[in-house]
Amino acid sequence: MQDFSFHKPQNLAAAVDTLKKRPEAKALGGGQSLIPVMKLGLAAPSDLVSVAGLAELRGIKVDGKELVVGAGMTHAEVADSAEVKKAIPALAALAGHIGDAQVRNRGTLGGSLAHDDPAADYPAAVLALGATVVTDRRKIAADDFFRGLYQTALGADEIVTSVRFPIPEKAAYAKFAHPASKFALVGVMVAKGPAGVRVAVTGAGPGVFRQADMERALGGRWAADALAGVAVKAEGLNADPYGSAEYRAHLIGVMARRAVAAAG
Amino acid sequence: MASEKEGGTTTVPARPGDEAQDRSFHSVGKPIRRVDARGKVTGETRFADDLSLPGMLHMKLKRSTVPHARILAVDATRALALPGVRAVLTGKEFPVPYGILPVSQDENALCTDKVRFVGDPVAAVVAVDELTAEEGARLVEVKYEPLTTIGSPEEALRNPEPQIHAYGKGNIHRSVAFDFGDVPGAIAGAAHVFEDSFFYQGNTHLPLEQHATLAYLDQNGLLTISSSTQVPHYLHRAASKVLGLPPARVRIIAPPQGGGFGGKTDPFNHEIVAGKAALLTGRPVKIALTREEVFFCHRGRHPVQMRMKTGVDAEGRILGHSVETLLDGGAYGSYGMASMHYTGALETVTYRMDRYRFRGCRTFTNKPPCGPKRGHGTPQPRFGLEVQIDKICEKLGIDPAEWRIRNAVPPDSVTANWMKVGTIGLVACLEAVVKASGWKERRGKLGRGRGLGIAASSYMCGAGHPIYFNDMPHSGVQLLLDRGGGVTAYCGSTEVGQGSDNVLALLIAEVLGVEPADVKLVTGDTSLTPIDLGSYSSRVTLMMGNAAIDAAERARDRLAIAAAQKLGIPPERVGFGGGRVFDVSDPGTGMTFAEAVVRAESAGGTVGVVGSYRPPPPPARYKGGGVGPSPAYSYSAAVVEVEADETTGIVRPVKIWVAHDIGRSLNPVAVRGQVVGSVYMGLGEALMEEQAFKRLPPKLSSALVHVGPSMLDYKSPLTLDMPEVECFLVEDPEPSGPFGAKEVGQGPLLPIPPALANAVHDALGVRVDEVPVTPEKVMAALRSPSRRCGPEGFPVVPWPEALDVPPPWEGGDGNARNEPPRPPKKKEGVRP
Ligand SMILES: Cc1cc2nc3c(=O)[nH]c(=O)nc-3n(C[C@H](O)[C@H](O)[C@H](O)COP(=O)(O)OP(=O)(O)OC[C@H]3O[C@@H](n4cnc5c(N)ncnc54)[C@H](O)[C@@H]3O)c2cc1C
Repeated sequence: MQDFSFHKPQNLAAAVDTLKKRPEAKALGGGQSLIPVMKLGLAAPSDLVSVAGLAELRGIKVDGKELVVGAGMTHAEVADSAEVKKAIPALAALAGHIGDAQVRNRGTLGGSLAHDDPAADYPAAVLALGATVVTDRRKIAADDFFRGLYQTALGADEIVTSVRFPIPEKAAYAKFAHPASKFALVGVMVAKGPAGVRVAVTGAGPGVFRQADMERALGGRWAADALAGVAVKAEGLNADPYGSAEYRAHLIGVMARRAVAAAG
Repeated sequence: MASEKEGGTTTVPARPGDEAQDRSFHSVGKPIRRVDARGKVTGETRFADDLSLPGMLHMKLKRSTVPHARILAVDATRALALPGVRAVLTGKEFPVPYGILPVSQDENALCTDKVRFVGDPVAAVVAVDELTAEEGARLVEVKYEPLTTIGSPEEALRNPEPQIHAYGKGNIHRSVAFDFGDVPGAIAGAAHVFEDSFFYQGNTHLPLEQHATLAYLDQNGLLTISSSTQVPHYLHRAASKVLGLPPARVRIIAPPQGGGFGGKTDPFNHEIVAGKAALLTGRPVKIALTREEVFFCHRGRHPVQMRMKTGVDAEGRILGHSVETLLDGGAYGSYGMASMHYTGALETVTYRMDRYRFRGCRTFTNKPPCGPKRGHGTPQPRFGLEVQIDKICEKLGIDPAEWRIRNAVPPDSVTANWMKVGTIGLVACLEAVVKASGWKERRGKLGRGRGLGIAASSYMCGAGHPIYFNDMPHSGVQLLLDRGGGVTAYCGSTEVGQGSDNVLALLIAEVLGVEPADVKLVTGDTSLTPIDLGSYSSRVTLMMGNAAIDAAERARDRLAIAAAQKLGIPPERVGFGGGRVFDVSDPGTGMTFAEAVVRAESAGGTVGVVGSYRPPPPPARYKGGGVGPSPAYSYSAAVVEVEADETTGIVRPVKIWVAHDIGRSLNPVAVRGQVVGSVYMGLGEALMEEQAFKRLPPKLSSALVHVGPSMLDYKSPLTLDMPEVECFLVEDPEPSGPFGAKEVGQGPLLPIPPALANAVHDALGVRVDEVPVTPEKVMAALRSPSRRCGPEGFPVVPWPEALDVPPPWEGGDGNARNEPPRPPKKKEGVRP
């Protein structure tokens, strides 16, 4: 790992300012993705700007018909939050199954979204619930945020401050966890709510994506067996020693049915 | 959540004349705290990576980025110009090849003319700190001329050129063939014939401690290499050979280790290069490997393709059994020749078989070298055999537990391939797990998605032959008794976490009647300790243990004579216990242990004694029969219960009952720890672990690379994945073991993968004839009309002419009828 300077700014403005001034600087959330990436030599930022503890990124509240989660909230905090459990229990459950206890105690919502690992769990929730990603300068709709394999709409010096999740009528997440990391080999989030019926798949492809055929089927009838006739193509899906593209396609069907059944 | 349950101990009734059985013990068999426990739990134990010296330099290796290529040029100019870099070493410094086996001296500490896998070291950079060394290694420029990559055994068989090594036949490292009786004849006359192909994927050891080495010249100029090695003696030989130093000018120290499992059993390039760097710079030089580099060192489980053909009579008795194995050896010889023999050698020691046929072939490929991992070469054919037996029993309608009990090899047998086995706790192991698991009532009746599977196995208690041919002891122990009553034991054994230090202290304490904690240990140091060959092949407890008892008994004899004189009794009446030396017929009369030492020292001089152990000569005399013989064999049996989900294919072990024939457990807590650890490792292999490779896309050089050389990508079970393990110890003291003890470090792993595959069959009615049993394979089997997922066949291998060795009951004498003339014994001959 290369040497770097560490910054702990007092507020959001100062953090953005540091990021703008130093082009090789990067925001640091819980470090659960960035530090491993740096250890592998895949990133070598000159400066790390710690943002997870900033007051502007903290807090969880219900605001009208939306649940607002601060980008600096850790996975464990989201999993344990009474507000989240009440408003969107599926989101609390999802957060509670990310990685292991150490990862959940450090990793943050903002970091997970900015990193956009193709097998991460949160992107499925953000996309299926039709959430809005709020940054220091704008609001980005979920459908515009994810751009495939580690790519998002964020600018290099842009900081995610919170995520606004419309509270759904029904939602559930089912994942087939990678046995070592617990990342999603395939994870499917289904939701029925203000944004309509949405099905988001993570882990299976180069980035999180919506499954239109399933959305149509569930739009017609919200029941696990409504998915019976939906064929999932293996084309374009990930393949690795733990699961071929065909197997992942099969799992998308299984996980979607389980999620719908769990959502009730 | 993992939990462990004491299943209890079964004691087999003593046979007449079984002295070991009659003894009562002070320390043996008691759950006493390990002598090394305190340092381990307080963090005070100093592992190799904890070592540091003033003025120490750091070293990093420049590793090949291509799988197979000629080295055209290595340019260190830019690296040497980097401030802080003190030296750059290349293959030019290391023209002398080495390797663990005398027959495979095929490694250079840094590659000289060729690289053979992604990760092969080409240069070493020594600098003032680790980051500078790393940056320096990046700056070393290497020009390669790419050669065709050999990616699999099939490719190795198809492409004799380009040859990865200049020895062997094309890219076949070595192949062997044995006929122990006429197997085709036996199969022709069989009532039923079963033929199956199996595949066992490669996997790695994954010790928590990554390899580290510190090399320095001591104040007298003695080159000292402290390294995480399971085999200081073999490293000593390799380092002095490569560095051109007389062995007396090199000292190897093996500090305690955080796990080895066979991954630290070769002499490694980084150890030798660090030694050279210390000689060149005159400064201490340290290298600590990254986790990625540990995946490159590898020497792990060979991927093995197998074909098994078995003929049985109407009752299922094995008339003839044939095993063919094809090993993916990776880029170097390592232990591979032995590994290949082991894929056949222990096939006969569990169940009776009249005739046996074995063919083995190891190929070179452009991957990190495979070698010995816990169970060395035997888990793969064990998987095939135990799954095939399950199929035989299914077809014949026999209970597979019953079949195993009925067909168990009886104690004191010589098998078809001339392996001599003494005590056999196999039946007791099987009975223990059958009873505890409710096998008879529950198998086949748990409903769809839940099932039970059984398997059994055996492992050696140390190899009958050393790695290089010699007539010397395999283990030596020296004892020094001081006037204050202290005992210091010196032995070359290496504590890799398995508890060898504890066994050493315990046995000496037992004989001398003192507490294990009173025995001070000096181990794993080639300058200070008598040789013990190392922590491999489950040899330490038996061999070091016997040497320790030998030494302790000699010390006891001297003390007994001196004490007897004072007490006015014959020496035979002197007893030892509780730190005292006393009259056994009047235990109140005696003296302290310290006083007995003073008397012995006054009478006969300093009380220093030695003991040693060498295994008895085995009956197998054919060429190749040197792999497999052991003074004793341990036995294990397991029942695995699984939950298998037919929509995802996920298999979850719910509970495991495992029984191990330990002979005698010297410390039941330590023994159970090894059993449960083996179960854990076996489950990882059975369900998920894979040392797998992929080819990069052509725009990225098409290199054959490891799919995930990190703990994030390499899957291994975690605490939460462990089911409850109920462990039974079967005690039937083995006359050749120390107080009757056998090995436990490796054996209990072996039944786990096949028992799990058999359980999946009980749960879902499908066969996965491959390890690991991944969810995807379970799904494939469910979808397939044959209800099976596994290899479709076995490649065509050009077998050599078979050695014709009649089994003992067909009039043989352990020699082959067609033995090729042997070359006259060289100083460093080869066996096999
Ligand atoms: C062993 C292990 C297992 C894991 N398992 C899972 C799993 O099962 N499921 C899963 O989803 N994830 C898993 N993860 C990843 C984990 O969830 C990470 O915490 C998360 O991906 C990153 O969050 P972080 O706060 O740690 O971000 P960091 O690692 O600190 O940063 C990641 C990236 O986000 C940027 N960043 C951080 N915060 C912000 C912000 N507020 N605004 C803009 N950019 C920001 C950084 O600059 C960096 O580029 C695992 C990680 C590990 C180490």
